[in-house]
Amino acid sequence: MINLAKREIEHTLGKFLVTSAGVGMLLGIVLIMIGVYRGMIIDAQVLIDDIGADLWVVQEGTLGPFAEASRVHEDLKNSIGIIEGVEKAEGITFQNMQVPTQSGLVRVMAVGYDPLGDLPAINESRLREGRTLKEEHYEMVATDKIGLKLGEKVALGRDIYTVVGITHGSVSSGGDPLIYVSLKDAQELQFLYSNARIRNDRARGIRGESSHMVNAVIAKTKEGYDVKEVANDIERWKHKSVYTYAQEKEILTKNLIERASKQIGMFTVILVVVSTIIIALIIYTMTLEKIKEISIMKLIGLPDRVIVSMIVQETLLMGILAFIAANMFAHAIYTKFPKRVVLEIPDALILFIVVLIASILASFVGVKKVLAADPREAIGG
Amino acid sequence: MDRKIAIKVENLYKSFGKGESYISVIEGASFEVYKGELVALVAPSGAGKTTLLMMIGCVEDPTRGTIWLGDEKVYENRWLTRETRRIRREKIGFIFQAHYLIPFLNIIENVTLVPQVNGVPKEQSEKEAMELLEYFDIAEKAHSMPSELSGGQNQRAAIARALANNPEIILADEPTAALDLDRSFDVVKMLKKIATDQDVAVIMVTHDEAMLPLCDRILTIENKKVVSKESKEAKIL
Repeated sequence: MINLAKREIEHTLGKFLVTSAGVGMLLGIVLIMIGVYRGMIIDAQVLIDDIGADLWVVQEGTLGPFAEASRVHEDLKNSIGIIEGVEKAEGITFQNMQVPTQSGLVRVMAVGYDPLGDLPAINESRLREGRTLKEEHYEMVATDKIGLKLGEKVALGRDIYTVVGITHGSVSSGGDPLIYVSLKDAQELQFLYSNARIRNDRARGIRGESSHMVNAVIAKTKEGYDVKEVANDIERWKHKSVYTYAQEKEILTKNLIERASKQIGMFTVILVVVSTIIIALIIYTMTLEKIKEISIMKLIGLPDRVIVSMIVQETLLMGILAFIAANMFAHAIYTKFPKRVVLEIPDALILFIVVLIASILASFVGVKKVLAADPREAIGG
Repeated sequence: MDRKIAIKVENLYKSFGKGESYISVIEGASFEVYKGELVALVAPSGAGKTTLLMMIGCVEDPTRGTIWLGDEKVYENRWLTRETRRIRREKIGFIFQAHYLIPFLNIIENVTLVPQVNGVPKEQSEKEAMELLEYFDIAEKAHSMPSELSGGQNQRAAIARALANNPEIILADEPTAALDLDRSFDVVKMLKKIATDQDVAVIMVTHDEAMLPLCDRILTIENKKVVSKESKEAKIL
């Protein structure tokens, strides 16, 4: 039996391929959107995984230090360090700032930690060049995406910092690239006001605030101790909010990126619906273009199933070609995005099933037109 | 000579619309067409020639009456089968003013499409199609697309398609309207030959008076009724 869909597509091959590629680019954007969402989830966990703390002690009643602002005294680490079950504790700061680079200002998150302390924040496996922080002042480790070079001098606040190490893939929960500075430098950058501000405050009778603050105290627990129990002890005795690694991760993924992921999810759904409508319109137009031939087919006695099969096969093939084009398009451009885009095979497979269903739905408009076609139209009534 | 009836129409009526827009086109048409006969259907424009042809072809619903195609009564005040398309596919071949070949199929595919839908194996349908194309002297164009053929070649391919399902009836709606006189004679002679050789009943709607002497008989529509005349009597109004 002659395959009408195959012959019709061969007859209009260029047009069919270009149309499929166009729809494919739209579906490629759907893949990219899903990839952006996946990237957000991974980014959200990079920092917390790199730090690897068991406990996050933050200002009481806050979801700090990422989802809400949090300030605690640095010396809290000492009293937490001696609590039963805590192996070691360190202060840590996080601060968004603009770093001057040769290509302009780049928004980064600065992580301040004690380079001489027990809990380094840098995951050494991410180091591509140089070393981690060794000095208490004026050294900086930057991630490669910022564009800084090893040994480059960078002005931050009132001081000049030297880039001593370059990492790869270090990002904040919001996807901003990271720089690492010593805790002391970070405290000055975050909590020390300018001379003019200090003079102004003194004139108003405002006493200068201590810069020995941190955004959180992170702690490692001793082996054999229940992390939750240790967290409860700290909460009870220190009147702070304490989150375990799992809780902090949940805060990051739920509180920080839930809305963003819903937003992306809505965009994705809308794009899929728009793609379905576009495929339907294309199939409808293609059906209209051959309505005379369809009328002739009906007139000479071809059953509906033969004609409907042609329309459905064409639509499905368009969907499959569009899906292939979507993957090629998405893989060609996803590295160009400023934030992490993760393309995963399971997501592509789900999209493939969605595209097949959408194609079948889209073919209904063409099928409806076929069923309604009047064989008398072949001879002009 | 014992002639077999291919088409029998009895007391057939066709009207359109209701109330003020009511138009009656055919009133009580009764006639027979025999196998092996080439019959011209002539009448002024708008008299209902194509409508009558399409009612016989199970495309247009009559208002009432009876139609037999061969031994099968297909209409008696309603279609007696839900598969009018099957009847068209198995019993009738259509030829039109334009060739109406399917543009994305080559000539042999156009000719073999209906037989293959009817269940004829591909090889057999192609063998028979090639015989038909040879008969119409376009065998070398079998694998060409309709757009690559001349108008006359396409019309011959369309006639081959109409014959491919071995129909008992051929309904031709002004098949010579787009052709010059010589080509028109060729086509009508071809239809006459088909009617005789294949024992097929051919009804041909035409406005071309010059073609009438080639036909065995003329059907005209006069005062909404179908009248049968010998070909030499006929004149197109």
